[in-house]
Amino acid sequence: MKQTVNLTIDGQAVEAKAGQTILEAATAAGIKIPALCHHPALKPIGACRMCLIEISKYQPLYPACTYEVSEGLAVTTRNERIDQARRFVLHMLFSERNHYCMYCEMSGNCELQDLGYEYGLDHWTYPTYTERFPVDASRDTFLMDHNRCILCRRCVRACSELVANHTLGMRQRGAKTMISADLNLPFGDSSCVGCGTCLQVCPTGALIDKRSAYLDMGHKVEIERVKSTCSQCSVGCGIEILIRGGNVVRVDGDWDAKPNGGVLCQQGRFDPLYDKRSRITMPMVRKNGTLQTADWETALGTAARHLAEVPASQVGVVSTSYATNEALYMVERLFGQKLGTDKIELLDAALPRLPVRYAPLSQIAESDLLLVVGANPVEDQPVASFLIKRAVDQGTRLIVVDGPHNPLIPFAHMNFEMADLAEAAQVAARAESPLVLYATGVADAYLTQLQGLERAGFVALEPGGNARGAAAYGLNGNAVGNEVEVLYVLLGEQVWGEAETEKVAENAFLIVQTSYDSPLTQRAGVVLPAAIWSERSGMLTNLEGRPCEANQAVEPHGEAKADWEILGLLADRLGHGPAVPLTELSALAAQGLKE
Amino acid sequence: MAKIKIATDWLAACAGCHMSLLDIDERIVALLDQVEFTSSPVTDLKHPPKEGVTVGILTGAVANSHNVEVARQMRERCQILIAVGDCATFGGIVAMRNMVGTQAALERAYLETETTVDGLIPDSPELGKPLDMVTGVDKVVKVDIFIPGCPPSADALFYAISELLAGRVPVVLPDEYFKYD
Repeated sequence: MKQTVNLTIDGQAVEAKAGQTILEAATAAGIKIPALCHHPALKPIGACRMCLIEISKYQPLYPACTYEVSEGLAVTTRNERIDQARRFVLHMLFSERNHYCMYCEMSGNCELQDLGYEYGLDHWTYPTYTERFPVDASRDTFLMDHNRCILCRRCVRACSELVANHTLGMRQRGAKTMISADLNLPFGDSSCVGCGTCLQVCPTGALIDKRSAYLDMGHKVEIERVKSTCSQCSVGCGIEILIRGGNVVRVDGDWDAKPNGGVLCQQGRFDPLYDKRSRITMPMVRKNGTLQTADWETALGTAARHLAEVPASQVGVVSTSYATNEALYMVERLFGQKLGTDKIELLDAALPRLPVRYAPLSQIAESDLLLVVGANPVEDQPVASFLIKRAVDQGTRLIVVDGPHNPLIPFAHMNFEMADLAEAAQVAARAESPLVLYATGVADAYLTQLQGLERAGFVALEPGGNARGAAAYGLNGNAVGNEVEVLYVLLGEQVWGEAETEKVAENAFLIVQTSYDSPLTQRAGVVLPAAIWSERSGMLTNLEGRPCEANQAVEPHGEAKADWEILGLLADRLGHGPAVPLTELSALAAQGLKE
Repeated sequence: MAKIKIATDWLAACAGCHMSLLDIDERIVALLDQVEFTSSPVTDLKHPPKEGVTVGILTGAVANSHNVEVARQMRERCQILIAVGDCATFGGIVAMRNMVGTQAALERAYLETETTVDGLIPDSPELGKPLDMVTGVDKVVKVDIFIPGCPPSADALFYAISELLAGRVPVVLPDEYFKYD
């Protein structure tokens, strides 16, 4: 079969890949064809007819999104006849349901509206439709206004093709067709996982985010997009932080990013924007028994004095694994190498590494059998679970080895208790290219049973956000114990719960670097305010071991500073400086990663 | 050269579109060398002159029988009719009534609100009778030029009038003046 096809689009000679659609070939050649139901990440269905084009040898108009290129085609994408057809389609779309832009939150950021302008729809030819449709606001974070829906089915396809959750479908026929969850349940009660991928692909104001829609998401022209990396779990999804007037408005998945390809989960897309904890915005120092705000000089000075006063054996560090590579590098360099303490504990330590072949997450789509062992990606790394379910849809076999309540079990072909891991491994050994995904739920003794899988690739679904980065710097969870006199807690944005409180010696002097108020800060001697995910730059190492760039989108709250910057300033105070700028520190940290 | 005569009127409207017309500001003085505003809601003359005008401007939706009469009279007495604003072009805010129905809207407004005592739906014969469906002006009379917007900017209106004065018909609004909200 020939690999390339030659055709002309609007008189321009275009070389397209065999199997491409006319729309794809035109887009690649820089020729714009309008489309509403089509989305580059989804399979085309030719529903909206906005992309109608003329093919010289045929009389009818064809949808460019589903018409495959072939040798010698002469395509016209715009002339009076095509414009008339597209205008007709737009008139029909505007005449059904409520498409009055003036009372829509997304006016100014709507693909239907853009096309209305482009095709000069200054009035409507058809009588407007007056039937009222329901608004479903039963989900926590975003709502569906059926009145704004043009039935393009992007949401339905995103739900099944990208997230492989199959919650959304259609019911009824014709103009009464409705987007429907499960067997017509309210979205909030349905099998919806709240990932918001449908929200991200909706071309109109039908799916709107309760938060951003009322923060003027409609003012597209005023919205800036900053590419970054999600730090909620170890998958390391590419995100776009949407900001307006110095505030984070919404988080979208980055379509060009690995491994998520535009998809995000609820934890990544919404949770960071709904954090209700109160921020620490100023450095604080305890004076006469009470925490009082102080300037950075005083706070760093007090912290440095306490650290310098005691021998290294009396200094402990507890660190989050959600910090940047730069910060984790600084923890190891300052506390491990310079101050010489060996008591550095990680809240979420990296998984044990096996002498096997590790594979990237993209291998999920290429394997014929997935063996999930002691891992709960549905809750811990949701985007990885989407990739797994997507593969299962394509016919990949799934074996789950875990307790009976693992939420992947309903999708699995077989499931075993951990005691029967050897049996599962035997089944996996028969596959051509099995992939093992393991996490904290599997004991080391069991892990060794998997090493015999010769053809298998391995993915360690790391706990925490940047445990791989931490492990690369040698931070891997030695317990601090209760004997230290000064404890430095690099908590960042992580939640400090009951279990963690037990890790802290009652009489230790606490220096806490954190973004939020918690029981820990109430006990601290010094509190250093840390910037959150949207306020700092740095690198994060995802579970594949790939360094991912996180970029600052907005200014830090109050006097908060990036995690690595605080540690740099502290090192400087302790005579182990000077504090270096991010680029220099990143280079040093990257060097450390390689070693 | 005789001045071009313009008549304006509002139907079911909030007056915002006429405010936009006044927002043309000092340019309106220069405009007056070439045009004469005859009847309008803000001048003494309330009906377009019988001998007719060149340009008629209507703002607001067609929501009752009175609006229909006003629209028909304007159409009869002008050569070029411009529908100005979202209400005149699409029905606009007034068309929200269509989502609940005229009768239900009247009952809610005049009988059922929490503060109503001895409510009464107005039915004086002097009042226009509410229509079942609120529409744009073009559903009642032929419209030549549509300028949507809530309200359209003064610049959009000034642009359209300038185009007409230059003899350019139809008026195609440039992107920056073409908006639905």
